[in-house]
Amino acid sequence: MELRVSLAPHIRTADSTRRLMLDVLIALIPASLAGVYFFGPNALMLLVLSTASAVLAEYVWQKLMKLPVRVNDLSAAVTGLLLGLNLPPQAPWWIAVAGSVVAVILVKQLFGGIGDNFMNPALAARAVLLASWPVHMTVYTLPTMWSGADAVTSATVLSGHPAGTMDLFLGNIPGCIGEVSKLAILLGLAYLLIRKTITWHVPVIFLGVTALLAWAMGAQGGFTFDGDPLAAILSGGVLFGAVFMATDYSTSPMTAKGQVVFAIGCGVIVSIIRAYGKYPEGVTYAILLMNIASPLIDRFMRPRVYGSPLKEEKA
Amino acid sequence: MVSALPVTFQGGVHPLQKLHEGKLPTKDVPVREYTADTVCIPMGMHLGAPSAPCVKAGDYVRLGQVIGEPVGGLGIPVHASVSGTVTDVGPRQQLNGPSSLCVTIENDHKDTWAEGLQALGDVETADPALIVPAVKAAGICGMGGACFPTHVKLTVREGQYCDTIILNGSECETHLTADYRLLLENPKNILDGLRAAMRALSVKRGVVAIEDNKPEAIALMRKAAQGREGVEVMELRTKYPQGGEKQLIRAVTGREVPQKKLPLDVHVIVLNVGTSAAIADAVTTGRPLISRITTVTGSVKEPANLRLRIGTAFRDAIDACGGYREAPGKITAGGAMTGLCVPGDAVSMTKATNGIVVYNMEDAKQLEESPCIRCGRCVEVCPAGLRPYLMKHDCDAGDLAAAEAHDVMDCIVCGCCSYACPARLWLTPSFKVAKDQIQAAKRGKA
Repeated sequence: MELRVSLAPHIRTADSTRRLMLDVLIALIPASLAGVYFFGPNALMLLVLSTASAVLAEYVWQKLMKLPVRVNDLSAAVTGLLLGLNLPPQAPWWIAVAGSVVAVILVKQLFGGIGDNFMNPALAARAVLLASWPVHMTVYTLPTMWSGADAVTSATVLSGHPAGTMDLFLGNIPGCIGEVSKLAILLGLAYLLIRKTITWHVPVIFLGVTALLAWAMGAQGGFTFDGDPLAAILSGGVLFGAVFMATDYSTSPMTAKGQVVFAIGCGVIVSIIRAYGKYPEGVTYAILLMNIASPLIDRFMRPRVYGSPLKEEKA
Repeated sequence: MVSALPVTFQGGVHPLQKLHEGKLPTKDVPVREYTADTVCIPMGMHLGAPSAPCVKAGDYVRLGQVIGEPVGGLGIPVHASVSGTVTDVGPRQQLNGPSSLCVTIENDHKDTWAEGLQALGDVETADPALIVPAVKAAGICGMGGACFPTHVKLTVREGQYCDTIILNGSECETHLTADYRLLLENPKNILDGLRAAMRALSVKRGVVAIEDNKPEAIALMRKAAQGREGVEVMELRTKYPQGGEKQLIRAVTGREVPQKKLPLDVHVIVLNVGTSAAIADAVTTGRPLISRITTVTGSVKEPANLRLRIGTAFRDAIDACGGYREAPGKITAGGAMTGLCVPGDAVSMTKATNGIVVYNMEDAKQLEESPCIRCGRCVEVCPAGLRPYLMKHDCDAGDLAAAEAHDVMDCIVCGCCSYACPARLWLTPSFKVAKDQIQAAKRGKA
């Protein structure tokens, strides 16, 4: 009889990396459907293309570099879909391809692949696209609802497009494909929380700080909310960012304590950029900046080792 | 010192929660005696130097007769667990190594007890000074899995004192129901052992700690504890590793054992409930530890709780449960979180074997490691407050000094981080190896 011998433990949780990434993909379904519903075939094309090119880019890179091919872990698919959802709905097709290649090759693989990237690949790629093709990346359109009519260019809510709370909530507003429908994003959030894919810390605190600061800062600077905290978190990409981008495992702190600090930082930076910055929206840069700060946060926000001296005993 | 009194601890996991921790097949199965035709008793069942055999092939031995004399400071005697003829004294492959000195006895099924076994009498009236020597003479060591000699645990050195004895009835490991059945079937014995230990060390407080997934045991124990001086029953939240010594002390007393210190440094001694029952037997009957309850479960035909004579082969115990249900892929002594793999089913169960768990080929499959995704789950679940992802990096790089700087020596090897890791990293095994290497290096220097 041949028995396998190994050190304990002999059981593992069902939540593998692949399962967690699949959960994120499932949680993104409502936002994807809503985006395609509001913005029509071009949005669908962008989502499919960005996801497919991210997976293909990772596969080709790993083959060329003779690395183990890990596209089965679905992380490239998540990155691609996230990037697509962060594009303006009428962006040209090659923007999606270029963004996915930058995200997967430049931001993720060149730094060592899954887990070793220090910035959120989809967001960093979005920043690269914004800097490289600012016009394509900032032209937003009103929802066309598959009417076949030509899309009408419009300012976003943060740049002055008027919108009622219900439109903001359902997504009947100009904006990036995935960020418009808050209802769809909240459905995704509920799924992630129920599945325990993420914890509440980052989204709740990120949004809470953003709302609080909108209320506290009132109608200062470029703020368009006149101190309305609800409008502040229903506008722009902050909800999408707080739920799907700031919760990225690799680029956020390891401990709950650290994630609290991280989320507060995100909320503060978003509010400052919105109020005083040249850009109408600052979610991308807020999260990227806090991504870079994560290793530092991890350094200080560590758990207390059982049995180690308490602070007062050290003194 | 931490003042707040929690009923639990930081971190932890809920393995097999949907399957009631894997305890359902055996939890309601009363303990059944099983006596094998042959026992092969290892001399090295406890932590410390193996005992020296004092019988030879051909000798007739009686039940409870000493067959191995204690060696060294941590030594305890080994007793014949059956009466019959010694057929062999020699090395065998056992849990503790490929050539472990063993005494094999052919059982005559007469259970003729050895002569001269002296009871101390009732636990409330026995001479306290004789209790610890009786525990040593009975060959008792930690029956929860640690195998640490109990008489050493019950020895309080100069400058130390103990104010609380905790009986660990949490049985937080998966699959195991041996302690649970003992709690249900013999609460009096468990409490007798606790009182004996309390009286031996003049300890005023005794706590029986049980997880709240065992309400029947808690109710029964509460009833049995009425009128017992200084004894209370405490209900703890069900979470693995609630039964970890340090976690248990924190939950019950609010005290933390400082790094590199022992429970006695915070005036606490923790004993397993099975150990306590063995102490009771030693005091009230004078009989040594010759059998124990073992849960035989997993991929066997009729999972059960068996009272086995020490030295019973795994194979015999499994056959007593109807044999294998499927081709076995892995067998562990103990539960799925900390159990020790056996090299074959011919090895003997020991005083510490609380469970025999059989895994089929599918469950025995090894999962392949993939890159760390920095999800932080290992940190979240670590009951010791460590950062396993960093320690794993150190261990993979062979940098033991860095691992030590990241407190790998505080790892309690509970398995939570490995269990929770989505990348399937072998975290706990790496830390176990690193701890052993660091300890060996220190011993080498000393």
